[in-house]
Amino acid sequence: MRALVLALLVSTPAMADDVTVFAAASLKSALDPIAEVWSAETDHSVTISYGGTSTLAKQIEAGAPADVFIAASVDWMDHVQAAGVMAQGARVDLLGNTLVLVGGAGAGAITLADLPARLGDGKLSMAFVDAVPAGQYGKAALQSLGLWAAVEAQVVQSENVRSALAFVARGEAVFGVVYGSDAVAAPGVSVVAAFPESSHPPIIYPAALTAQAGEAAAAFLAALQMPAADAVFVDNGFTLR
Amino acid sequence: MALTLSLKVAFWATFASLPFGLLVGHALARWNFWGKGLLNAAVLLPLILPPVVTGYLLLVTFGRNGAVGAWLYQATGFTFAFQWMGAALAAAVMAFPLMVRAIRLSIEAVDTRLEDAAGTLGASPRWVWLTVTLPLALPGVLAGAVLAFAKAMGEFGATITFVASIPGQTQTVPTAIYEALQVPGGEVAALRLVMVSVVVAMGAVVASEWLARGVARRVRGA
Repeated sequence: MRALVLALLVSTPAMADDVTVFAAASLKSALDPIAEVWSAETDHSVTISYGGTSTLAKQIEAGAPADVFIAASVDWMDHVQAAGVMAQGARVDLLGNTLVLVGGAGAGAITLADLPARLGDGKLSMAFVDAVPAGQYGKAALQSLGLWAAVEAQVVQSENVRSALAFVARGEAVFGVVYGSDAVAAPGVSVVAAFPESSHPPIIYPAALTAQAGEAAAAFLAALQMPAADAVFVDNGFTLR
Repeated sequence: MALTLSLKVAFWATFASLPFGLLVGHALARWNFWGKGLLNAAVLLPLILPPVVTGYLLLVTFGRNGAVGAWLYQATGFTFAFQWMGAALAAAVMAFPLMVRAIRLSIEAVDTRLEDAAGTLGASPRWVWLTVTLPLALPGVLAGAVLAFAKAMGEFGATITFVASIPGQTQTVPTAIYEALQVPGGEVAALRLVMVSVVVAMGAVVASEWLARGVARRVRGA
């Protein structure tokens, strides 16, 4: 009996490791299927905790048991790296995203320059324009297109980009500024315009290993950069970097 | 800006819901009617539901396209959506259970023999309520109002789900704190707001204690 227990204790870690991933909430629809395939192929299990990038970054800084961190913002990755909780030299710019203007279901395409006129006295739904990346990119894009001053008073801000999308889907806001990847799977909204890439700073999802990451975690991060994973990310509206 | 808005929202949330709080508190304390258990449960619901759910139900009901909101907008041109009165509505709904509970308990504690005595001396039921029941229950009513005010000041989940965050309209202190924490190194800005709101909350509690004690003394000692 004792020999059996001992054998189990010794053999389990050698056979399969558990990889804990902290990932930005917007990655869920793409990352879940990729992780499922990978853990079936390798016998390692993957646990993914999704949340707002800022929340996850603070948890990692406070010692949460994450092996891989995929952030929706360069700033927060810089922040945890500066805090000394990440592994050296294991950071990649994993993904990019696009910024689009969405309207209610069936809304026709518009020219961005017409946005103030099309908005009328309606609302423009965005994530926090000074705090959440999607909102910051959106504000920068509207500013560089010379539209910000005209729409600023009609902007309603939400705590994350998915909530901003929901206001458009429910018809409470006329338009919303969200990521291309958010618009892909969302019922009740349609993309009416795309912001030019040059109108905002590049949207980057950096990924990195934490200081406590093992070999399995490194293998998972490598797998995320393979063609099979790329296809899933692209299907879900992300761009590759 | 967030602080003055929060004070305005919390004040109106408390002030406008007080008559309803008195009515429902009195009904639950004194009247027997069909559906009393249901009313009690409905009033307590926001205390038990996650605030985000309450906010979502408010959006579905009182939004521009909500069941009641669409009708209200068509009939009067008024909408709660995305403006400070929507924030006040969310805060009032979230604070209502606390207010009703305090009022109900204080009315239940009023000695009905005093009311009966006033009645036999010729006072109408309404006059009895105004001159006997309400003054005797006043400390509890005030305590309920202050509790509701404090809750309204701190309300976050229902507010952001219902009316999002618009500086000057719906960006209350809790929303501003939450937003500040989304930025790397935003703790300093958040801490300042936290300290301000702690001071306001402490002030409200101390003032209410003082007020309630003064009222209780006057009611008993007159």
